[in-house]
Amino acid sequence: MKQPTIKPFGKQAVLIEWNPSVDNKTLTAVLQVKQLVLKTYTKEVLETVPAYSSLAVFLKKEAKQDDFIDRLSQKLEKIPKAEPAISRVLHIPVCYDPKFALDIEDVAKTNNLTIPKVIELHTKPTYKVYFLGFLPGFPYLGGLDKRLQTPRKKTPREVIEAGSVAIGGAQTGVYTTSSPGGWNIIGKSPLNYFSIAKNPPALLKAGDFIKFIPISKDEYRKIEVEVNVDIYKLREEEKNG
Amino acid sequence: MVEVLKSGLFTTIQDKGRTGYRSLGVPVSGAMDAISAAMANKLLDNSTQASVMEFTMMGPRLQFKAPTSIAICGAGFHARINDVPIELDKATEISENDVLKIDHPDYGNYGYLAVLGGFEAEMVLGSRSFYNNITKKKRLEKGDILKFSTASSEKIIRHASFSIDEHHFNDEAIAVYSGPEFDLLPKKFQKKIMNTSLKVASQSNRMAYVVEGLEDLSAKEIITAPVQPGTVQLTPSGKCVVLMRDAQTTGGYARILQLSEQAICKLAQKRAGESVRFKLIESL
Repeated sequence: MKQPTIKPFGKQAVLIEWNPSVDNKTLTAVLQVKQLVLKTYTKEVLETVPAYSSLAVFLKKEAKQDDFIDRLSQKLEKIPKAEPAISRVLHIPVCYDPKFALDIEDVAKTNNLTIPKVIELHTKPTYKVYFLGFLPGFPYLGGLDKRLQTPRKKTPREVIEAGSVAIGGAQTGVYTTSSPGGWNIIGKSPLNYFSIAKNPPALLKAGDFIKFIPISKDEYRKIEVEVNVDIYKLREEEKNG
Repeated sequence: MVEVLKSGLFTTIQDKGRTGYRSLGVPVSGAMDAISAAMANKLLDNSTQASVMEFTMMGPRLQFKAPTSIAICGAGFHARINDVPIELDKATEISENDVLKIDHPDYGNYGYLAVLGGFEAEMVLGSRSFYNNITKKKRLEKGDILKFSTASSEKIIRHASFSIDEHHFNDEAIAVYSGPEFDLLPKKFQKKIMNTSLKVASQSNRMAYVVEGLEDLSAKEIITAPVQPGTVQLTPSGKCVVLMRDAQTTGGYARILQLSEQAICKLAQKRAGESVRFKLIESL
C-alpha cells in the first residue's frame, strides 16, 4: 500500500490521507496510525477522527502544526506493515416484524424480493464497522448485499427512533439515537447504542464486525427489559480482521 | 439561582465545547461566537471554562434568585433590568429578584450572558454545552432553574468594560485556509470562490450556515471523511455549506475551505441576507 500523505486541515488539525477506497486493508492502516498517533503524541494531540481512508488529527492549542507534520511524516515512513487485528463480531438482535419494519415491503418491492428473502439477505453477511459518525455512535457499515440496495425515501421522516435498522442506498446501519432521516426502516434493535453513563459511551467501535440476528417480537420485549436493567449480555465471537 | 420566565427563540447553555468524543460521532458544540462568549466571562473574571447562556434573535426573560454580577456580549441586543436599560460589554451588578429582559439585537445573531462563576448546567462528557441526545435538554424552557457554579473570584471588576471590535460585525471578510479538496477544483472555480460576494441564506443554524452565490460551480462528492466546525463544503449542485459548532464529525461533500477559529465567530454573527467574502490566509 502507498504511503499516506499528510497535510494541514485548517490551523489546529492535520489530515492523513490514503488512496480513497473502502476496503479492509485501508481501514487497518488508518486504525494502526490512529493508535500510533494517540500513543506517541499525547502532549500535542487532542483527539482523532478516523474515516474510510483518512484520519483527522486535532491538535491542542500549544502544538506547532508544521513541526508536528514534519515529525509525523518521518515516523510514518518507518511504520511496519499493518497486520490485520483480531476483531470482535457482535451479535446484534433485530426484530424484522412489520410492527417495526415500516419500509420492509418497499425494500422488497423495489428489489423484486419477498420479505423473508430481504431478512435472509440482511442477516447473512458479517458487516464491518468502518468508523462512527453522522450520529453519536452511528456505525458506517460495509457489506450490504447489492440485492438490498434501495434509494433513500423522497421525503425523510421527521423522527426515526433509536435502534431502527435501515437501508439507505448502498448502505445499511442502525440509528443509534433518534433523528430525522431518509433511510428505509426494515427492523428495530432493542440495544442501547449510545449512553453517556457508559465508558466508552458508544456500543460499537471502528474495526468491529457485526452480525444481525433475527428475533421475534417477544424476544425483542425480553431483551428490551434486560437492556433497561443492564443485565443483557451481548454475544460476541472473534474473527481475523 | 436564576429562573427562566421566558425562553426566547432558542436559548442554550454553552461553553468551549465537548472534545475527546468526536471519533464516536459526538459533535463539539460550544458557543457559536466563542470570542464574544469569552469576553463575557472575562468581564467577570470567570474561568475560560465557565458556561454562558447563548441566545439568538429574541432573548430570554430571567429572574435572579440571588445577587450576582452579569455581563452581556455579542450581538447588539437590548437588555433591561427591571425595565431599566443596561449597557452591553460591561459588568453589571444584580440584586435578588431582579428581572433581566433581553429583546432583539440591532446587529448580529448571537448574544452571551455570563454570570459570576458560570451556569451550573448538567456536565456531560466533559462539557455543559447543550446538544440534543447528549444533554437531557436541547434548549432552555420556561420554568427552568439554573444554579451558578462557585464564583471563580471574589473580586468583581465593577467598572470593567471592553469596546467591541466593529470589524467583528461589519466586515465582510471571512478568513479561510484552503481545504483538503480545494486543489482538486479547476483554477477558475478557485478564483470565483475567492472573488465572489456571497449571501448568507436563511436556513442557517448552529449546525451549518448556507451561503449563496456559487450555484454555477460544482464539486464531486468524496468518500465520507472527517469534517470540523468551519469546514466549507461544496456540493455537486453548487450549494455551499459552512459547518458550524454542532456539525457532524464526518461528511461526504468536497471540503474546499477551512475557516479560521476567528472567522467562525465572525460568520456566526452574520444575518440572513448579509454579504460575506472568503479571504485566503496565505500559507506559511
